[in-house]
Amino acid sequence: MSKASYNWSEIARNPKYLELKRKKRVFLFGWWIAASVYYFSLPLLAGYFPALFKIKLIGVINFGYLFILSQFLVAIFVAMYYTKVANSDFDRLTDELLKEIQ
Amino acid sequence: MLTKIFSAMMLTLLLATVGFSAEPSKSAIPAVNAAPQVSSPQQQLSAPSQSQVAAVVAPVSAFGVPTKIKPNRAITISMFSTIIGITLCVVIWAARQTKSAADFYTAGGGITGLQNGWAIAGDYMSAASFLGMSGLISLYGIDGFMYAVGPMFSFIAILLVIAEPCRNAGKFTLGDILSFRTAPKPVRAVAALSTVTVSLFYLIAQMVGAGKLMQVLLDIPYRVSVTGVGILMVGYVVFGGMKATTWVQIIKAGLLMSGTILLAFLVISKAGFNPVGFFTDIVGNQLIQDHVRINVLKDALPKPGFDYGQRFMEPGLFLKNPLDQVSLGIAWALGAAGLPHILMRFFTVPSAKEARKSIVIALFINSSFFFLINIIGFGAALYLSPQLISSVDKGGNMATLLLAQLLGGGAGSLGGDMFLAFICAVAFATILAVVSGLVLAASAAIAHDVYVNIVMDGKADQHTQVKVARVTSLFVGLAAILMGLAAEKENVVALVALAFAVAASGNFPAVMLSLFWKRFNTAGVISALLVGTISALGLVVISPVMTYPQKIADDAKKIVSTLEKKQMEGVVLAEKDLKLMDKSRMDFEKNNGGTSMVGLKAAIFPLKNPGIVSVPLGLIAAILGTLLFRDRRAEELFDEIEVRQITGLGISQASDH
Repeated sequence: MSKASYNWSEIARNPKYLELKRKKRVFLFGWWIAASVYYFSLPLLAGYFPALFKIKLIGVINFGYLFILSQFLVAIFVAMYYTKVANSDFDRLTDELLKEIQ
Repeated sequence: MLTKIFSAMMLTLLLATVGFSAEPSKSAIPAVNAAPQVSSPQQQLSAPSQSQVAAVVAPVSAFGVPTKIKPNRAITISMFSTIIGITLCVVIWAARQTKSAADFYTAGGGITGLQNGWAIAGDYMSAASFLGMSGLISLYGIDGFMYAVGPMFSFIAILLVIAEPCRNAGKFTLGDILSFRTAPKPVRAVAALSTVTVSLFYLIAQMVGAGKLMQVLLDIPYRVSVTGVGILMVGYVVFGGMKATTWVQIIKAGLLMSGTILLAFLVISKAGFNPVGFFTDIVGNQLIQDHVRINVLKDALPKPGFDYGQRFMEPGLFLKNPLDQVSLGIAWALGAAGLPHILMRFFTVPSAKEARKSIVIALFINSSFFFLINIIGFGAALYLSPQLISSVDKGGNMATLLLAQLLGGGAGSLGGDMFLAFICAVAFATILAVVSGLVLAASAAIAHDVYVNIVMDGKADQHTQVKVARVTSLFVGLAAILMGLAAEKENVVALVALAFAVAASGNFPAVMLSLFWKRFNTAGVISALLVGTISALGLVVISPVMTYPQKIADDAKKIVSTLEKKQMEGVVLAEKDLKLMDKSRMDFEKNNGGTSMVGLKAAIFPLKNPGIVSVPLGLIAAILGTLLFRDRRAEELFDEIEVRQITGLGISQASDH
């Protein structure tokens, strides 16, 4: 890499950078934890509250089956939502920051 | 020149395979424990503890169905040759473009997000999910479907906290990320050791699975198929590097997805496009009810008022221990994000944005795939019957193949033969593509981390780097072939559990803390990797996934006494039962008093998956190691790695060379 070396600690104190960092951290870890809670509720509910899974909702299709399908939808939702926020918010902030530095 | 030698080698291999497979082979379907088991942690469960006693009480073969799957040899071999031929063309094309180390390890960063998404999805669509999961669903209903959630969810951690930061901060390997602000040599050495261990565990399990699968499908002897898969995989990696490995994975993912969509579509159309009706038929199906009652729940007489059909739609037929499931859940959620061959894929795209896109695409492809597999699994239960499926293979691994044959037009029909052959060839391509990625990851760790950065102090020109990488791949591949051959009779299920557990307990905390914790340092990385690996390894070898001869002996004894009791009652035993009795007596003699690999009569650790204990241990070790040995330099360099990972500033570009 023949790029000029950056003053990393100076960038690390840039207010724009700090804003980007805080926003990213709250969003990423917050959603990661929330999604994990939903994910681990599947084995826990199936194991400790099997009666819940047996409740029939649509014909013979029960809560358990629909709950598994909902895991798919939640994962897809988190991914789509993150993409939207990242593409509009994070990428924009990053671009602004990079322009300021260079 | 190289490509010519390579083509000639492949041709010889193909001819040899055809010649061998023409020999009538006596190989029967592998026994329960040896059922074709390929990759992913679910495998440890796909040899269910369904005791053989059940088989005696309810002989499945009473159905008088064929207990062997018979693909049409000519059609199957031409399908195999076509797929191998296509991939070889890809390798020759990729070989021409592989000139620098970046080309070899990361395809020069020139893979697009869409392409990488398909390749990552391909890494997840292993033979285990394609054959194993549908089989589990066909035998145990909804419990099999629950397995799909782990792999799918693992994308969330990868998407949110791993892919983009790693793309921004890394270059070729796990060692690059971990050694950024630590003492590079010891950290690279430990990271390389961990990468090679994880990749080889996974690789051997895949090789053994491939050997067993080909034996069942085409009567190709185990040794021939392991060697064949090995030579092809070495060829892909040595000549084509990451570019070929990625494209082989993309082609396979496309083929696999097409086959899956077609098969699921046939199931849905047979069910009249009515999902509720489809499940109502399953619940009302007499054979499924009998299977749940007799084979799974072992109720000799029906319990009055109990709905055995509905039970198929409820959890707990296969997964018994909730803690084990949580532990498996941890292995997936964190382990997949720490697997070196997955990590490496983020470096093949030009930017963090493309890395993000590739994960979202992979998530889409894989969730559709797992949803379709669920339709195929339930369809197999309804249209084939669990009895038929388990008579062909006790673990249910042949369910997808049998269903393809049936819905294609039935055994012996052109449509049935074609569809079966296509699915077989795709299953083969699946294994090939996955093992190639593993060989590449292991070789990158040895060639890039150990040779270039430790031995040569990072002073090696591009030509040397590529040469070393190629030679290393060749040796890693050869080692994998030899170990695959040696492991034929071994219980490889534990190896996959181990690969994920090590990745989750060692690699994952090390990567996360490197990126997000200022104080994290050399001592932290090394203690995370060592404690994570050792605790995962230690717990697996004392867990129920290992083979315990004493348990086999006890089970055999149970069968003998059940049969003897029958004889005493004056029942004349069928020839099959007499044979079983003799075999069980021998099993008892052979295994009684025996101990597992580490000298145990029974498992000490109760769970099959160590994650729930080993992940916290790895994390605690990382934190303690860091705090005990403060390192100012690591803390000073944190600003740099943090700015890099968040902004992508100074990202190592494809234009490095």
